[in-house]
Order: sequence, then structure tokens, then C-alpha cells
Amino acid sequence: MKGAAVSRWGVARKRLVYGLFGAGVLVLAGFMINQALNTSLVYFILPNEYAQQPSQYEDRRIRLGGLVAPESVRFDDLDLQLTFLVTDGIESYPVQHVGAPPELFRENAGVVIEGRFDEGVFVSDNLLIKHSEVYEAPADGHIDIEALRESLQ
Amino acid sequence: MLSLGTLGSGAVMLALALAVYAVVAGTLGAVRRDARLQTSARLTALAVFIAATTAVLVMQAALLTDDFSVKYVAEHSRIESPTWVKVVTLWAALEGSVLLWAWLLTAYTAVLAVTAPNTVMRPWALVVMQVVQVFFLSVVALAANPFIVLANPPLDGPGANPLLQNHWMMAVHPVLMYLGFVGLTVPFAFAMAALITRRPGTEWMRLTRRWTLLGWGFLSAAIVSGGWWSYEVLGWGGYWAWDPVENVSILPWFTATAFLHSIQVQERRRMLKAWNLLLIVLTFSLTLLGTFLIRSGVVSSVHAFGDGPVGPFFLTFFVIVSLVSISLVVWRWDQVRDRADLDAVVSREGAFLGVNVLFLAMAFAVLLGTVFPLFVEATTGARVTVGAPFFDAITLPIWMLVLLLMGVGPLLPWRRAETQTLRANLIVMTVAFLIALALAFAFGMRNTYPLLTVGLAGWNLASVGLLLAGAIVPRARITGRSIGQVFTRYAFEQKRRVGSMVVHLGVIVIALGIAGSGGYRVDQQIRLPYGERVPFQGYELQALRPFSEQVAGRASVGVEVAVFQDGREVGVLTPRINRFGTSQMTVPTPSVRYTAGHDLYLALAGAVDPQQDFVIIRAVQSPLITWIWIGGAIIVLGTAYALSPGERPLRRRVGAESTAGAEA
Repeated sequence: MKGAAVSRWGVARKRLVYGLFGAGVLVLAGFMINQALNTSLVYFILPNEYAQQPSQYEDRRIRLGGLVAPESVRFDDLDLQLTFLVTDGIESYPVQHVGAPPELFRENAGVVIEGRFDEGVFVSDNLLIKHSEVYEAPADGHIDIEALRESLQ
Repeated sequence: MLSLGTLGSGAVMLALALAVYAVVAGTLGAVRRDARLQTSARLTALAVFIAATTAVLVMQAALLTDDFSVKYVAEHSRIESPTWVKVVTLWAALEGSVLLWAWLLTAYTAVLAVTAPNTVMRPWALVVMQVVQVFFLSVVALAANPFIVLANPPLDGPGANPLLQNHWMMAVHPVLMYLGFVGLTVPFAFAMAALITRRPGTEWMRLTRRWTLLGWGFLSAAIVSGGWWSYEVLGWGGYWAWDPVENVSILPWFTATAFLHSIQVQERRRMLKAWNLLLIVLTFSLTLLGTFLIRSGVVSSVHAFGDGPVGPFFLTFFVIVSLVSISLVVWRWDQVRDRADLDAVVSREGAFLGVNVLFLAMAFAVLLGTVFPLFVEATTGARVTVGAPFFDAITLPIWMLVLLLMGVGPLLPWRRAETQTLRANLIVMTVAFLIALALAFAFGMRNTYPLLTVGLAGWNLASVGLLLAGAIVPRARITGRSIGQVFTRYAFEQKRRVGSMVVHLGVIVIALGIAGSGGYRVDQQIRLPYGERVPFQGYELQALRPFSEQVAGRASVGVEVAVFQDGREVGVLTPRINRFGTSQMTVPTPSVRYTAGHDLYLALAGAVDPQQDFVIIRAVQSPLITWIWIGGAIIVLGTAYALSPGERPLRRRVGAESTAGAEA
């Protein structure tokens, strides 16, 4: 039964080729996934967390959460430049955003902004208003960090 | 007096009790081969359906009569809402959605109980369907009962989620989704029945072929209509953001698409038995896992379905289903192990296998990206999101390979390709690829993926042309009939084949729409002083006047914007902000001018202030985006054509059963 032996050998060789090919594809896929995950992971932080380790978030896209600081909002309707301070009660940073303030944007509103820090200024390209019933902006200026974080999630 | 709430709860309880009885009777009947018990279980399926239908009707009655003593109505409905909103409020929130899902499941089970051919598998398949039914009905009864009676009913409710009220598409999309999920439960049930009855041949997939296709078609329609809803409602001019809710809807679609292709390999070559079983298990369990992920609040989403009590139920059922079904496969390993082997990689089955691997890879990557934030938070405490760039980076190259294989696969014969024909075909397709590529380049396209997509569209069109020519020209030559006559006959006789060609055509159309709108979108905010014409992408936009509008349950504020092209007015768009009932939430509602070449999409960027002499809008121009919706319609048509009854499948069915019998 020479034919059978040859075909069995053929099958074994084919399996080996498929196996190696499959393993190669898996390694490549793993590498690609790892690469893609590393570059597109966006951290959600509050201003005080940034203040602790600014270098960690250098040149990284982040989502910064906080409240719109009172009396900090400026909007230039000709250039469509919106600037304000985002604060968590501990630290605050100036924010630059191109575009009109959204409908529900107001002082003490919870916001999540997406973008990067550039020399101490957060340059945002996406501004989300978080209107949450869980967290009410404080009257006395004291902000509960954990409650704020939860409400912005 | 019997309240609607009590009546509804009663109907759900009755349905649950009957479903439990059906499982017990069905199992006993199947084990003992007792025909009377089996019939009893089958008839009970009808009774369960009637009880569940009663529950749905009671909920509709409560919604339409504004009976706020029913908790679900009190929490999600409102007197002044229009009637259609009240009707669709059934699936506007968690409890109602689960009720709808359960009801559709009872409907499918009842249809199956009546129409499924009387085989050894039928009793077991019905038992599996009824087990799933028991799960859903107990979620309705125990964790998410919409019929809870309130002791102090409010006078009015807040109304349905504004985002859902804002577009009629919401009346359609969830129903399509559940029809898809439930449709894919049928092949799962038969797969389990095949394992239990030791018949892991092709019989179970032949019996459920139509159900699989039906479920897949509904799921595809649901995903496209969901994209359209996002586009028309969410106001950022896009349709897909790789949000967890979107991701979990496409996961079962990936595996179901793989399944749809790999079952053909088993039908023709008796290969991939275990693979097919695992794929359908995966498809069904992904619908459960997805529901767990988005309904339990473990992953956050812009669609904000929020936390619900049903999470643990779905997670538990997911774990049970996965464990039991995989154990079944392992237990029957000796029978599901493949004995045949791939003869050559360059063959129809080789291409199908390749496309399977690609779809599974996409499913894996998308699932990973969706749950990855959970791992990071669990291990480091950091809160992260995985951005759209990850999903694009992984899925775009895979999609290119899928499109490549989509052109080659159908042209390859089973077993082994003849090199000569293959080479001739590939030359034609490559020429078409290059011509399309050159055309796109000449039109100014420079981005890699859009260019490749256009090239691959040419490749695929050539492939469809070759397929049709190969099928029709020889027949015309032999019979002496005209090409038109032969084509009509072919299209009538080969419904599955022609249907699949149409579906593939729809996929190409969608791919082109994604390439255009994804690669060449222009999105910018513009200040429009009233009365002035401001240029945007070859248009001129002129804000005419602000307006406000009050209709039942809805207040809108917006702006009329005249659109000019070449100095001629081509239309007026009315982007607005809607507010529903007493809800604080405002819904910016875009206004879109649809054309074949591109869409002009205007949304209000901020508040409309009557004191201002200008308004700021977000203007988006998306090339070819309409073709995504048209492609979706083509896919639905192709699926419907493949499903439509004809003479030939009937004849084949008889042959199929006799061969399946011989195999067993």
C-alpha cells in the first residue's frame, strides 16, 4: 500500500505547513493587536492626577474630566475659540477648544474633554457635557473627588 | 378589579410555568421516545406563545391607555407622546426589551414546533429552544418585571429616552436585532440536538439553513439601520464609533457570517464538523455575553443603557451555555472529528476557511478591544478607553483581505482549482482591480484604504461578471436560447447562488460608502451670520431665521438654513435641538441633504440665542455615505431572494435527506 503511505506522509506534511502558517499568523496578529492597543489606549484622568505625573501623559491622547471653573469661560465667536479652566477642586488647567460651547455648557458643568496637553494647556478636539443626577456642583467650593470621578465616567 | 399590571405578571408567570413544563415533558419524551409527551411539549410551545403574546398585548394596552400604575409605563411613557412612540416604548428600555426578546423567542419556538420536520432531532431542538425560553421568561419574571404595580401611581411619566424618541428608525432597529438574535438561536438549538442525538452530520444545518439565513439577514439589517439611526440622531455626522453597544452587536454578526460560509464546506465536503458546531455556539453565546456587557454597566457607552439588574442573569446563562455546549462537543468528539482533509488551499473550501479565520480574527480583536478597559482597570486601577484607531487599525486590513477572498472564493471549484482557468480569471480580475485603482487615483484619491477598496470593488465586480458569464454563456450555447432567457432561468433555479451574488454586491456597495465617508469626510464648525452666504465645500450656506416649534410631547428650537449650489438654491435644511416632555436632556437633531455623490449634514453646534445675529453650526460633508444604506438594502434583498421559495431547493431537500440518512 505504497499510495496510502505517500498520502499519509502528504497529510502529515500538509498539517505541518498549515500549523506553521497558522502559528505565524497568530504571532503576527498578536503583535499587531499589541501595537494597536498601545497606541490607542486613552486614559481618563482628573486634573490633579495629571499634576502628579505630567510626564506620563506627554504626547498621549487623554480624556480629562472636571468641572468648568466659574468665571473662566471665554468664547470668541469669530474664531470659534472656546477657552475655560477645567478643575477638580485641587488643580485646574486652561483648556482650548475649537468650536461653539455645546447647548448645556455652563459654569460648574461636568465635562469630559479629549485631546492632549501642550505646554500646560489642554488642547481639546472633543467636548462632552456630563449632566449627571449623581453629582451636583458644590455651593461651598468643596469638591468630593471620588463622587466627581464617578459622575464623569 | 384586575389591574393590567397583575394581568401582565400573571401572563408572564403562566408562560414561564408552561415553558418549564415543556422542557420537562420534552426531555422525558425525547429520552423515552414517548410520542405523546413529545406532542404535549410541542403543543405547549403554542400555549407559551399565547401567554407571552398576552403579556405583550397587556403591556401595549397599559402604554396606550397611560396606565401609570404599571411601573414600566410610569417610568418610560408619557401622556402627550404620539401613539407610535407609545407603541415602541415597549422596547425603549431594558424591561420591555427583554419582554420583546422573550416574546419573539416564543414565537419562533411555536413556529418551529409546528413546521419543523419530524426527525429524531426535533424533540431535542425544541427542548433547547424551550430552555432558552425559560431563561428569558425568568429574567422577565424575576429580574426585570415591567409589570410591577405601583401603589401610588404618578399622574404622568417622563416619557421614553429622548434619543430613542427622536427618530422613527428606533421603531425598527431593536426589533430587527432581536429577530436576528432569536433567528440564530434556531441553528444553535438544532446543533445541540444533533450532538445529543449523535447525528453531527449535515442534517441539522440543512434543516436550519433558512433560519440561519433569516437570522443573519435580520442581524445585518439591524446593524445597518442602527448605523443610520446614529447618523441621523447623534449629531456628529458619523454612523459607527466602535462604541461597546455597537461592538457587541457586530460580534455575533462576524461569527454568523463565518458560520454561513463554513456550513457550505461541511455540506459539500463533510469537513469542519466541530468547527461549525463551535461557531454556532459562539454566535449564540456572544449574543448573551454582549447583552451582559452592555446591560450590566460594566462597560460604559455613549448609548448609556445604564446599569440593570439583569447582568448577573445573562452572565450566568452565558457561562452555563458555553460550558454545556462545549462539553457536548468534547463528549461527542469521536463523531465530530474530521476525517476528510483539505486537498488544496486553492479551492472553494480553502477560500471559505480563509474567510472564516478572518472573521474570527475580527471578532476576537473587537471583543478584546471592548473588554480591554475592564482588564486595565482591574489590574492597574486606571480608567481607560480603547479608541476607534485601535478598531480601525485591526479591522481595516482584515476587511481588505475579506474583499480579496470574496472575489476569488466563488470562482474556485470545490476540492482543487484548475490552474489554467484560475489564471485566466485572475488576470481579468487583476486588470479590473488596476483600472478601478487608476480611476480612483485620477479622481484624486490618495489614501491607502479607500484606494484599495475601490480597486477591490473592481476586482469583485469582475468576479461577479465572470461567475455569471461562466454560468450563462455555455448554457446559452447549448440550448440556443438568448442570454436574457438563460439568465432569467438561471436566476430562478439558482436562488441561493444568485442571492449570494446580490449580497456580495451589497457588501461592495457598503465598502465603497465606508471608503468615501471614512476617508474623505469634511467636518467643520461654521459661523453663519443671518442673511449672509458662507461657503462650505462648493456650497453656500445662508442662515435664514431661527424658529421654534411645539408639537405633542416635543419642543424644538432650530434654524432654517438655505443651501445654494452654483448660485442656485437647492434646498432648505433645518437643524434643530429637540426637547421631549419634561426631560432636561436636549437632543441636537441634524438635518441632512442626501445625494448620490455625498451628503451635506448640518447640526447646531451650540444654543440658538435669539439675541445673537449669527448661529454656529457643524457642517459635515460625507462622500458616498448614502451607499452604505443602499448597500444594506441590497443585502436584505439578496438574502430575501435566497430565502424565497422556488422549485429547485424543494427537490434538493428530498435528495439531501436521503443522503443524510445514508451518511448516518
